[in-house]
Amino acid sequence: MGRMLTSLFYLYLQMFIKHTFFIILISIAAITNAKELKTIELPSGEETEVRIFPSKGNILIIGFACDNGKSKHEEATSISLAEDGIEVWMPDMLSTYMLPKSRSSYEEIPGEDLAHIIYEAIATNKDVYIVGSGSDTQLLLKVAAQWKKDYPDYKNLKGAILLFPRLNDGEPEPGVEPKYVSSVGTTTIPLMVLEGGRTPNRWGVNHLSQKLGSSGSQVISKIVPGIRGYFFNRNDPNRTEDVVTSQLSGLVKVSLHYLQELEK
Amino acid sequence: MKKIALLLLLSITFTTHAAGLKPYSGNIKNPQVILQDLSGKTHTLEQYKGSIVLVQFWATYCPPCVKEMPSMNSMQDKLAKAGVPFKILAIDMAETRTEVEEFVKKIKPEFTILLDESGSSIGQWNVFAAPSNFLIDKQGQIKYTLFGGVEWDSPEIIEKITQLSQQ
Repeated sequence: MGRMLTSLFYLYLQMFIKHTFFIILISIAAITNAKELKTIELPSGEETEVRIFPSKGNILIIGFACDNGKSKHEEATSISLAEDGIEVWMPDMLSTYMLPKSRSSYEEIPGEDLAHIIYEAIATNKDVYIVGSGSDTQLLLKVAAQWKKDYPDYKNLKGAILLFPRLNDGEPEPGVEPKYVSSVGTTTIPLMVLEGGRTPNRWGVNHLSQKLGSSGSQVISKIVPGIRGYFFNRNDPNRTEDVVTSQLSGLVKVSLHYLQELEK
Repeated sequence: MKKIALLLLLSITFTTHAAGLKPYSGNIKNPQVILQDLSGKTHTLEQYKGSIVLVQFWATYCPPCVKEMPSMNSMQDKLAKAGVPFKILAIDMAETRTEVEEFVKKIKPEFTILLDESGSSIGQWNVFAAPSNFLIDKQGQIKYTLFGGVEWDSPEIIEKITQLSQQ
């Protein structure tokens, strides 16, 4: 009887240790992926809240997602990047100024405010890259140009990743070279452009890259085969799009690799 | 009198907007097409001189391209019945033969589909979006362009093509 009780005791002890270990593991994971909120006071007097996915690596990505925090997958992607040592900051500029999601809103966001967010990120002593997708890339280019203007001596803004950029000014006219928004061709930082293989926009990538590089930026462009534009926000993703969506962080990491290669 | 003038103005505005065709402002002087259809027959723009030709760049993954195809079938019928010499050359934007064949089986376009698997004509025609449409006159020059989906069998477009065929 005594032996039986002792065995039961050890069994329970074993289970307790296992569970405790499991709980500790979960807690560590939660701490690692914890989203922090940082309030930044901007030169215009506004305050913006930045979602931070902290990490100990020496790279920091600022995702200028102008979607009032509604974009699918951005949080999962940020967590995945943070797990791999890349810190992610997600300011939402439209919410800060109570602006609707439209092209004209980008013009209303003060460039100085945007550049100040980069300034705060640079203060971490990490190498900073900025990321945006679709029409948000317009804001990305605006902030890159403003940064150079306001902080010419800082070298830590290393590059920008433009995911599936939509930078046309107005409707495209068949047979005529496209016109772009004014922020195209205004920055000198290295740029990485990614476009889907199953979107007509892929045919404009070379032209866009030339225009982006006209101000001195080194531009790398890559076509991601088998995916359509805005694939990560579609309700009818195909298999390739599903896979790429789940690996968005991988796309960002590959882009970082290309940009880092340019520095060598 | 004022009312009539206003109605006239409105109808002109509506016609222009509904048609969506814009006079071509680019610099392609001698547009060329030398591509094969799904049966392997080669089509050139040159061979359709004397007809009005709609050259369309499209793709199976482009929703407006797919949506407007029935109206393109209907436009082709209407113009044929009216005796207007007219041809549609719909150039697929660099997809594989298999992809296009599967699409055609399902959607059943009744006009000529051309394959451009290398995408070489896309650059030559300065096409950066889909659907991109070019309306070619009887002399083989681009007269109008149109970007985006449209109801091709609308009276305004039929009228415009008919007018163009009379020039």
